[in-house]
Amino acid sequence: MTSRFSYGRIAHVVLWCGLAAASLWVSIPKIYSGATQYPLRPTGPLHTCDSYLKFATGASGASKDLISIFHSMTASKRIVIFTRKDDPFSSGLGMTTAYLASPHLVRLFEINGTHPDNELSKMNPNEVAAVVFCRINRPTWLPAGKVFGSGLEVVSMPEKVRR
Amino acid sequence: MSALALLGAFGTLLFAGYGLLTLLIRQQTRFSLTEQIAFSWLLGAGAVSLLLWIFGLFVHGVLLPRLVAIVCLALGFVGWRRMVPRPLRRRATSFEILLGIIIVIEIAVVFYLSFVHTLGWDGLLNWEIKARYAFANGGILPGTYFSDSGRAFSHPEYPLAIPFTELWLYFWLGEADQFCAKTIFPIFYVVGIFLLIALGKRLAGREWIGLLVAPFLFFVPQITVEVGSAIAGYADFPLSVFYLATIGCLFCAAEQGNAAFFRLYAACLALLPWVKRDGVILWTVAAACGVFVILRTKRSPLFFLGFLPGLLVICGWHFYLRTMHALRPADFLPVNLETLGSHLYRIPPLLSAFLAEFYNLPTWSLFWFVVAIGVAHLLRRMGNPRVLVLLAALIVPIFLYLLIYVFSSWPSYLDHVGLSISRLLMHVAPVGFLVTILAVSSRSEKNPARVREGRGVTCVTAGSERTPVVELA
Repeated sequence: MTSRFSYGRIAHVVLWCGLAAASLWVSIPKIYSGATQYPLRPTGPLHTCDSYLKFATGASGASKDLISIFHSMTASKRIVIFTRKDDPFSSGLGMTTAYLASPHLVRLFEINGTHPDNELSKMNPNEVAAVVFCRINRPTWLPAGKVFGSGLEVVSMPEKVRR
Repeated sequence: MSALALLGAFGTLLFAGYGLLTLLIRQQTRFSLTEQIAFSWLLGAGAVSLLLWIFGLFVHGVLLPRLVAIVCLALGFVGWRRMVPRPLRRRATSFEILLGIIIVIEIAVVFYLSFVHTLGWDGLLNWEIKARYAFANGGILPGTYFSDSGRAFSHPEYPLAIPFTELWLYFWLGEADQFCAKTIFPIFYVVGIFLLIALGKRLAGREWIGLLVAPFLFFVPQITVEVGSAIAGYADFPLSVFYLATIGCLFCAAEQGNAAFFRLYAACLALLPWVKRDGVILWTVAAACGVFVILRTKRSPLFFLGFLPGLLVICGWHFYLRTMHALRPADFLPVNLETLGSHLYRIPPLLSAFLAEFYNLPTWSLFWFVVAIGVAHLLRRMGNPRVLVLLAALIVPIFLYLLIYVFSSWPSYLDHVGLSISRLLMHVAPVGFLVTILAVSSRSEKNPARVREGRGVTCVTAGSERTPVVELA
């Protein structure tokens, strides 16, 4: 007749209880800080885009305005977006703008530095509805566009761009 | 109004899933309520997204959601006529009630977290983007989206299970809503918990083991709060739940004569490549395990037909992408022997990166350490084909994932690893929980009489549960 509480059984229970306790000990601080890090945000159909844009530019509720600007343009023309290499904020802004620019086709240019003159001079303005600058300086020869917070500017392209 | 619309979307999705479940089970096996909800959700999400895609090839606009809703209701009607039998009810012990309360609190916290956080980067720009564009275009993705180089960052080649489940919500809501789209992800968490509880009971024969281990899912930071976690709107956690369902069903199907679980396994298997591109790797591993089970249990060759739906999904999606002239993904080099040979030097650094990830405590806590002990515990039971399947399903995908980074085209392949490794490992994490459940219960399983004390439905009893005695009871 074997005892119900054999040494093996006790060791088995102690091992798994110990592992469970250790896991909780390591996890709870991380889970707690993750759970209490952010307050409840305002809800809305574009709440993620709005949060990104607010984080990157400081502008509140910019998504809706961006969408209405893009909707007012000829859908068959492209949106050209300039972002800076090695700048995650610029890159994130560019992709968020591309997301919002539907149904336009998009062309993303990642450039070194902050002056896109070379790329702009090669563009055919008849095919472009707007140029977006994400943390990049707008060339002075382009007309001023709609600015969102700091670092995001949308310039609607006139029929003919003159330098 | 939004709540009612969401209720309608989830209701139709669950109806469709329940109908499919009854068709697959054919009243041959008893399923607890948690299992029925879990499988109804998984099958419903898969069916609705596939129907939206397939019907979208022929119709669009208001007709598309109506057609899909009619099919969902028809399937629900089938389910109503052929209810899945439930196991005999028994009174829960106070310990089980306590564990149940803990799980309910955890689920509430996950829902809260899901609404506090926005969609993650990939959740927005890889997945939700497809739902939004399809919604704006009458339910089908615009042809230009697939070939638009400016939107290549959003991976147009990724499959549509998650985006089209979101699209289903949008149809009911009448608008694309990033906040409401998030509701589907905590539901996948609930489904994962339900499956762990139910499979724990089937694996170990005791209700409380599943109830005891499942709450620890919450305490894996990668699953709860880290980048790409269950709340971020990424496809990785849903994929891991589909994989858990697939492997859990295969484990139960390995029991002689249990064809119901094999059909369910085949259905979940088919949906793996539909959830994420990486699902093809999981499909390959789970299918290989399925072949092993068929051969080992000397089943009819007809069982091989179970792999056909998955192959159809893989080939169908590939053919569709080619037809749409989708841009080729740029993250990986061509997979061939020549590339493999010239990049073999990457394997040692990749191994170190993977090992480092396993003991990354802020991301995984002690999860992989616990799983490693579970694996060591089960090694002496490798002669059991079911244990072998479970261990293979856990370990082989990890090695295959390591291997795919050999083909990374990123300038720094280690950056590529660093960015995605934790999410890839998450795909097999719930199966790691199954391994742990089996290891925790392994001592009591030495005495089969004690296993049956649980009085619940186990894989062992499932095959013979339609005996006259049980039917009468």
